[in-house]
Amino acid sequence: MRGNVRGQGDLEIQGRVEGDVNVDGDVTVGEEAAVRGNVTGAEISVAGTVQGDLRGSEGVLLERGARVVGDLSAPRIGIAPGALVRGLVRTDGEPALGSPQAQRRASAVPSLRAVPTSAQRPFVAKEAPRATVSERPLPLERPAPPERAAAPAQPERPTVVERSDQPAARREKEAPPPPVVPVLAKGAKAKKKRRED
Amino acid sequence: MAARHSNEQSVLGASTRVTGRVGGEGSLRIEGQLKGDVQVTGDTEIAEGASIEGNISAESVDVAGSLVGDVSARGTVAVRAGALVRGELKATEVSIEPGARVSLRIETELELDLGTPRRR
Amino acid sequence: MATVIGEGLSIEGDLTSNEDVAVHGTFRGKLTTDDTVVVGATGAVQADISGSSVSIAGQVTGDVTASERVDLQAGGRLVGDVRAGRFTIADGASFKGNVDMEM
Repeated sequence: MRGNVRGQGDLEIQGRVEGDVNVDGDVTVGEEAAVRGNVTGAEISVAGTVQGDLRGSEGVLLERGARVVGDLSAPRIGIAPGALVRGLVRTDGEPALGSPQAQRRASAVPSLRAVPTSAQRPFVAKEAPRATVSERPLPLERPAPPERAAAPAQPERPTVVERSDQPAARREKEAPPPPVVPVLAKGAKAKKKRRED
Repeated sequence: MAARHSNEQSVLGASTRVTGRVGGEGSLRIEGQLKGDVQVTGDTEIAEGASIEGNISAESVDVAGSLVGDVSARGTVAVRAGALVRGELKATEVSIEPGARVSLRIETELELDLGTPRRR
Repeated sequence: MATVIGEGLSIEGDLTSNEDVAVHGTFRGKLTTDDTVVVGATGAVQADISGSSVSIAGQVTGDVTASERVDLQAGGRLVGDVRAGRFTIADGASFKGNVDMEM
């Protein structure tokens, strides 16, 4: 899946995501998952691969098989033995001693950072579901129309983002329909919009 | 010089304060306070309540206390829940228990290949 | 012993403690404790030492001050001044320095 994911509920990623993820709830990056982009959420758990920053308002946890290149920032951070990380890791929000990378952190994708999800907070996720995920146009260029039209999601349940090689057969882990995520047609080049590592 | 003493453990006790360099063979457990660098062939352990202000070069490093400085470990670095660690860590693997207060730059030999999407 | 400098270890600097200190490796600088100091047979110290009692079986170059006693064991070598209420030099030990036992 290419595109940016925003929403209010929890998110479980099992496939490939190229784009930033920014949700109010928890984010789980599964063992087989690969994310190229920054991930922002409450409690972020990673067992797969991430190239990008992880910003958890509650915590960031890297499990045994996690492979992360990027910065980690959360009040509680756990890195299990066997996880591999390269980047800044901060529980206090201050830059690491003598590190110029701290300044690079914010530079990557201006359009997708600092999403004012707090402004959307008044929405109670349990109600009549309207995924706030990408209903508004995102600044990505998308030559093709979204591959997947989606019904509104129920954000209180985990939403599964599947691999882009199964565009038609959308199997969900749980009942809820997929989020509205504009997606590039397979094969289209994603715009290079973040720092290369 | 053969590593004849690589199995030994040295200890700086809880009430001990050292300002200066510590180096050589064997492992080191610090229960007190050290201002200065450590360069040992074995493991370095910073006990709860202990502190090191200086750089460490060791086989592995285990921090339950406070460490401000850079770490270069041939093996692993473990940061325990009550620890406070600031600096740059170079190791083959770093683990951090939730609860630790850290401000670290972690350098491991990790290169990701997320290349172009491909079918599995 | 609370603080042990192992045979392969080397410390250069100031060490202060409230507890006993054993040196089996190398120490250079200044060593001060309220408790006992033991310089083992393999210990090599280039420092002034201060403790409650100091026992030397290795090599010390520096002044030794003890509130109670200094014992120089067989095989021990001390070059430096000694200030202590009691001072023993074992047969086989080597000593060069001044002694002040009026404490």
